[in-house]
Amino acid sequence: MAKRLDVLVCSGAACISSHSEEIRKKLKEEIENKNLAEEVNIIETGCMGPCQLGPVMIVYPDGTFYIKLSKDDIPKIVEEHFLKGRPVKSLIWTTGEAKKIVEEKKTVPFFEKQLKVVLSNCGKIDPENIEEYIGAGGYEALAKVLTQMSPDNVIEEITKSGIRGRGGAGFPTGLKWKFTRQAKGDEKYIICNADEGDPGAFMDRAVLEGDPHSVIEGIEIAGYAIGANKGYIYVRAEYPLAIKRLEIAINQATKIGLIGNNIFDTGFNFDLEVRMGAGAFVCGEETALIASIEGKRGTPRPKPPFPAQSGLWRKPTSINNVETLATINKIILKGSEWFSSIGTEKSKGTKIFALSGKIKNTGLVEVPMGMSLGEIIFDIGEGIPNNKKFKAVQMGGPSGGCIPAEHLNLPIDYESLKQVGAIVGSGGMIAMDEDNCMVNMAKFFIEFTMSESCGQCVPCRVGLRQMYNILDRITEGKGKLEDLDTLEQLGNQIKNSSLCGLGQTAPNPVLSTLRYFRDEYIEHIVNKKCRAGVCARLFYAPCVNACPSEVDVSRYVAYMAEGKLKEAFIVHMENNPFPSVCARVCPAFCEGPCERGKFDEPVAIREIKRLFADWAIESGIKFIAPEEPKKEKIAIIGSGPAGLSCAFYLTRLGYKPVVFESLPVKGGMMQIGIPDYRLPKNMLDSEIKRIEDSGVEIKVNSNIGTIKELKDNGFDAVFIGIGAHESLKIGVPGEELPGVLGGIEFLREASLNEKFDLRSKKLVVVGGGSTAMDDARTARRLGAESVTVIYRRSKEEMPAQRAEIEEAEEERIDIKLLHNPVEFIGKDKIEKVRLIKMAFKGFDRNGRRKPIPVEGSEYEIPADLVILCLGQRPKLSMFAEEVETNKNGTITIDQDNFETSMPGVFAGGDAVRGPSTIIESVADGRKSAISIDKFFGYDGKFNFPERTEVKTTYNEDDYLKMIPKKTPQLEKAETRVRSFIEVNKGLLLKEAIEESKRCLHCDRGKEILETEEVHKKIEEAI
Amino acid sequence: MTKEEILNKYDNRAENLLQILHDFQQNNSQNYLTKDDLKIIANYLSLPESFVQGVVTFYSMFSLTPRGKYVIRICESPPCHLMGSSTIIKEVSDYLGIDLNETTKDGLFTLELSSCLGVCGVAPAMTINEEVFGNLDSQKIKDIIEEKRRVK
Repeated sequence: MAKRLDVLVCSGAACISSHSEEIRKKLKEEIENKNLAEEVNIIETGCMGPCQLGPVMIVYPDGTFYIKLSKDDIPKIVEEHFLKGRPVKSLIWTTGEAKKIVEEKKTVPFFEKQLKVVLSNCGKIDPENIEEYIGAGGYEALAKVLTQMSPDNVIEEITKSGIRGRGGAGFPTGLKWKFTRQAKGDEKYIICNADEGDPGAFMDRAVLEGDPHSVIEGIEIAGYAIGANKGYIYVRAEYPLAIKRLEIAINQATKIGLIGNNIFDTGFNFDLEVRMGAGAFVCGEETALIASIEGKRGTPRPKPPFPAQSGLWRKPTSINNVETLATINKIILKGSEWFSSIGTEKSKGTKIFALSGKIKNTGLVEVPMGMSLGEIIFDIGEGIPNNKKFKAVQMGGPSGGCIPAEHLNLPIDYESLKQVGAIVGSGGMIAMDEDNCMVNMAKFFIEFTMSESCGQCVPCRVGLRQMYNILDRITEGKGKLEDLDTLEQLGNQIKNSSLCGLGQTAPNPVLSTLRYFRDEYIEHIVNKKCRAGVCARLFYAPCVNACPSEVDVSRYVAYMAEGKLKEAFIVHMENNPFPSVCARVCPAFCEGPCERGKFDEPVAIREIKRLFADWAIESGIKFIAPEEPKKEKIAIIGSGPAGLSCAFYLTRLGYKPVVFESLPVKGGMMQIGIPDYRLPKNMLDSEIKRIEDSGVEIKVNSNIGTIKELKDNGFDAVFIGIGAHESLKIGVPGEELPGVLGGIEFLREASLNEKFDLRSKKLVVVGGGSTAMDDARTARRLGAESVTVIYRRSKEEMPAQRAEIEEAEEERIDIKLLHNPVEFIGKDKIEKVRLIKMAFKGFDRNGRRKPIPVEGSEYEIPADLVILCLGQRPKLSMFAEEVETNKNGTITIDQDNFETSMPGVFAGGDAVRGPSTIIESVADGRKSAISIDKFFGYDGKFNFPERTEVKTTYNEDDYLKMIPKKTPQLEKAETRVRSFIEVNKGLLLKEAIEESKRCLHCDRGKEILETEEVHKKIEEAI
Repeated sequence: MTKEEILNKYDNRAENLLQILHDFQQNNSQNYLTKDDLKIIANYLSLPESFVQGVVTFYSMFSLTPRGKYVIRICESPPCHLMGSSTIIKEVSDYLGIDLNETTKDGLFTLELSSCLGVCGVAPAMTINEEVFGNLDSQKIKDIIEEKRRVK
């Protein structure tokens, strides 16, 4: 009964969790209302895969894919689409940024790269109707096996196909059947292991719910092959829908004689029962599973003997996984050669992977074995949501290991995964991003296996507890470095001496994170730092933790919520003396992990800061210079953010340092590297003046000789904060032509030379960072006729801040992505740039897509000036001999105290890091000040008030509803490009106070409450 | 269904123990197995009571204490953990005013954890009896609980 339209409504557990049932009911109602029942077929199907988009529905024959449906959408779809033939575009699946409307299922990339073998019926047939399964070729394989093949033929065919068990261990299925067939015994059993307990794996559920007959058919074929007339399906009780559908399927098959006696008149008898678990992870282990079917506690027993010799009731038993069994009928029908033509040399066929965690398209995907991890995560899974960075993927659940970004090119098959310390396992892929702490994840996995351990054998029961205790200690900041060796020893011992698979694999997540993320463990132990902001005992609030200089955001935001600008300002000054500068140009690391962002949007921390920062400048708040300074003399080379921060905090420690600046202006890169439209110079100058007033002398135009000379002139310690001012070269022909210059040189020229005029000039800027954006936008303001930015990757990879890129585009700057220059052409000066198009292929070691030149795609564009913004390195000429440097030309320091190879000489900022941010330089300068104080034998402690929790008086509950964050007004693009007027106009004080009240106060309960005394101390600090 | 009716559904073979326990528990209005139940079942299957007790305590889904009409099981698998299940657990616990494995005074809700519900694609997730709820957030859990309270 072919109808005009077939509507497939997903009724997998995930879609049901988003109420697909209601959708189906409403659909039926509407279709009946419109008298379309004769024309439209509603089919309830199993899981289609893209769970996070549920409820989903596909309409055939046109293949329209509707997602995120609600009951209220249905009347419109029925009216417009089913009746008038116009699909409702707003509800159709759109992909990626392009929002390209994908109208047909075959062009959705989520499916395009997939090869559905096991899942071929899922989402297409009604799992509760055996006729649909038979209509799709079901039970033909069973008929073929029973009528045309001997059991040995079947085993041979399966062996030749090369299929390996899909449940985790990857043991060849044909071999397992052969052993069971050869074992002596009057009775034999086939068991389907549907106790899918691996967290992160849910393909078995999808197959059982969506295509139960394929599993039953596989079981019967297996039974015939090994000589069993009785089979069990052991399903976990957490899958009630799967159990229900299996029971319906068994009843239907029994009714028409496909289960029972004398199947297909061949004399083959087969009986099948469903057994339900009761919530024990260990029952997925085959010997435990057998115990559970027998009605006992599900504890494993030692092997050998293997179940093939002595299994259920001590009879030979083959235990196979759901996915394996659901593949069998396809191999029988299409042949072992077909199957073994898919996949790699040792891993044949397709495998279903379950994508979960931090990935855009969660759900099931079925791909040929050997597809690269990157393709699965980034092409099919569409990568990581919310512009976060991919960190690692956990493969194989708690028995597996993590695979970091450097292995994204790895082909996914049994052998390759083993090499990197992970396993295919049951196929769970849990994606993790920069906000996930690997130590915490490892601890979580151990906690899981520890609580699921059956307790029978000591290594697993006691050993995992010990590992957990150590990990717990580390996440609390109480770890010792020796702990890491202990974890490794213990882990290996548990692996080698546990009774069953649970214990033998449980330490894997710890061992593999220790292998790839040891630095994170060390950070937790030595620096008491959790970079992902997860281990809450190590910090006050995620914002504070994320700030390189650990500015106490949580406190200044709370003060701002109370309108206490002075207190907020003082708190900021304790860790960063450039609030006004950072309020304008900081990438705001603090806002990324803001807890509020998980609810609606992060608090606009940077905009809040601007209010008290500018207020402090207007009010002229000063910090008293040390009246009786300590006797030691300190020289600082460079007046950038690192140098001046070091100087300021030295004054707070009782010194009066001298800063030597080679340029005629103060402020280093802040002065010459950031244009006025982002950072007005009067703001910067005021903050520098405040630092000078606190007891710092800055000598401009002073080129110093060597460090030794400084020391000879009576300086007891030196801080080098010379930044990185030498632009890097690109290394293509024509680079030396006049008119090709470095990004920083260009900005310096634009900032120091008032007569710089670019009218009627065509500019080409190479690079994708902040400097490239600043150069391009500066050129636009200086009247350039055209400004083209060339970047070799895509927009997502551009290191510049999102807002900068958007603003640049508004200012009509042409950004050519996936392009690279190959030659600069011109006679006496630059005239043209020869470009080549790039395309992504594979991934680099940092997990970024690798751009590869597209052969024959070169073309030329005219250029009067080319600016290369490829990063900078420090100009070390004068003391390159005195301090040790790294390969890339930066200064080598002791990471613990910022001291260089020369005693008493410290360094920080870009001179050490290469091009970085102001706040990182501030952090280095501040920490160096502490080190210098300690170098002289003092304690390195500031006399700041003790940290207290800020009391608030507003009703916090009022702010626990959805409130969008406040965004400042921007100067209009048309007007702002005519001058260097500041683009961002900032928030009003009233708005900033309201915005501050959105803070969720993550630091609560970690410190004592503020007192009058604190306020007095704040007054004293000024 | 009476207890006898349940027992009559099954042969008196030991292998049927788990299924019988499931049925007894489901049949109990407070979702648990009484001491008496264990005795009856042990007797029927000719098993020592201690053996039955041992099996019951091994599996996390069996309870020997009365539970609410609605058993909420929040998934604490790693994918759910990654997507914020610890916050969900805390919020449900605060909202209901009970700790894990406790029952609300009105006898409506019991809060438990599950090792994995197998709906990782919509993490964080939970079930209430056999109904699955995914993509949970603070608002959603309150709506779901209120809905159950209304229905009772």
